[in-house]
Amino acid sequence: MASRYDRAITVFSPDGHLFQVEYAQEAVKKGSTAVGIRGTNIVVLGVEKKSVAKLQDERTVRKICALDDHVCMAFAGLTADARVVINRARVECQSHKLTVEDPVTVEYITRFIATLKQKYTQSNGRRPFGISALIVGFDDDGIPRLYQTDPSGTYHAWKANAIGRSAKTVREFLEKNYTEDAISNDNEAIKLAIKALLEVVQSGGKNIELAIIRRDQPLKMFSAKEIELQVTEIEKEKEEVEKKKSKKST
Amino acid sequence: MAATFFGEVVKAPCRAGTEEEEEEEEQDRRDTPEDREVRRQLARKREVRLLQRQTKTSLEVALLEKQSCSKFIIAVGSNASAFLSSFVMTSGVWKEVGCAKLWNEWCRTTDTVHLSPTDAFCVFYQLKSDPSVFLCQCSCYIAEDQQFQWLEKVFGSRPRRNMQVTVLTCRHVTEYKTSESTCSLPSPFLRALKTQKFKDPVCCPLLEQPNIVHDLPAAVLSYCQVWKIPAVLYLCYTDVMKLDLVTVEAFKPVLSSSSLECLVKNVPESTEILKKLMTTNEIQSNIYT
Repeated sequence: MASRYDRAITVFSPDGHLFQVEYAQEAVKKGSTAVGIRGTNIVVLGVEKKSVAKLQDERTVRKICALDDHVCMAFAGLTADARVVINRARVECQSHKLTVEDPVTVEYITRFIATLKQKYTQSNGRRPFGISALIVGFDDDGIPRLYQTDPSGTYHAWKANAIGRSAKTVREFLEKNYTEDAISNDNEAIKLAIKALLEVVQSGGKNIELAIIRRDQPLKMFSAKEIELQVTEIEKEKEEVEKKKSKKST
Repeated sequence: MAATFFGEVVKAPCRAGTEEEEEEEEQDRRDTPEDREVRRQLARKREVRLLQRQTKTSLEVALLEKQSCSKFIIAVGSNASAFLSSFVMTSGVWKEVGCAKLWNEWCRTTDTVHLSPTDAFCVFYQLKSDPSVFLCQCSCYIAEDQQFQWLEKVFGSRPRRNMQVTVLTCRHVTEYKTSESTCSLPSPFLRALKTQKFKDPVCCPLLEQPNIVHDLPAAVLSYCQVWKIPAVLYLCYTDVMKLDLVTVEAFKPVLSSSSLECLVKNVPESTEILKKLMTTNEIQSNIYT
């Protein structure tokens, strides 16, 4: 049945599916994992860095991009589609600032991106954007925000979420480990993001990229050394927990 | 008879059947010597050959016919092969006893004569400590017309019934037919399908209807069912078909099955080896980030 209704975006199947939108969600799963966590005083974005070819400039392969000084996003899916969406969002952020003299709220820019994506699910001759995005930032009121958009054009606020390859595994990890204690401390929120990624990242800390925004501070990208330090701490804590367990059992 | 746009008269296909007078003429027209030669060459090109890679000599007898086999484990696809490489092949000494060379339209290489080590499509190994245990890693697509040839060359024309066959393979989760949405499925997940003679417990739920098995795993299971050989297929539905750590680890419950439990020794060490295998295959395309 699917094959008769899955070629044109503007055609519903008899049971109400828009197959092109659902297939676009499969394209998102081909991108590497991205995780977002909303802490009390911090928002964290962690991504699995894909390995670049030897002759490729690593700086041009970015999964975390700033949309404005106080908002940034990570995406998973088609690289070129992401570039187009990010460019439009960045222009909108500046246009908003010039028009109303206020920076965009995180919700506003998320709604803008989601509306843009939805338009492409209702136009003839176009296909949906094959990306999901995690948008984080702080509004003027000082409240941290995390939103997720998907190819259908829906957006929702989340406390923590993951997109891309193996997102389900990471989300299940977050559901078990996201507690008020875990996110009350900035460092603990950062560790939670790294631990969630380590569940699915093939080769440890060197393939992880991390960005944080603290209240009233600009976006900070972690260096490889800083991430390595965090990973080492996490591994030490794991060992200690395992030692305690084995002591208890004996 | 019908006239085409250009005025030529051609015979239109007739569902009522051909008239007898024209049958003899038609038979001559059907099979020219060139047609027969082309068909012969194509059949030769698509032939499945089993040979010793080092000496390049063909194996005259079917692989499992000349030696007694108690266990035969087949991995089809990169994830299943990686699982066997890290968890089973590292726990013993395995000797390469042959490889299957074949060509079809899905093959990336057109040179069927000079196969490089990375091209070898199906490689067969034998456990040195127990020569009745065989393993096969198949990384190519075997077309429908080649599957029976492959089976005959591996199992022989009269396979023994006292062996147990285990097949491991992956399939994309979107091909799993279920009333649930694919987003809610816990992929990757395992399903099993077994022949009537397979009496051991399986380590995951059985494959539900209307799902079916395809390609070489289906051919192996059908062959084993016909010849009353106990066989089980463990099928991993995943959303990442290329080499992926989470997908390979989804096969871990199979380590407790009767076929593999005595072949696996050090699981944590194998997990480390698997991670190293992943890093060597890391470079990805730029289309998806």
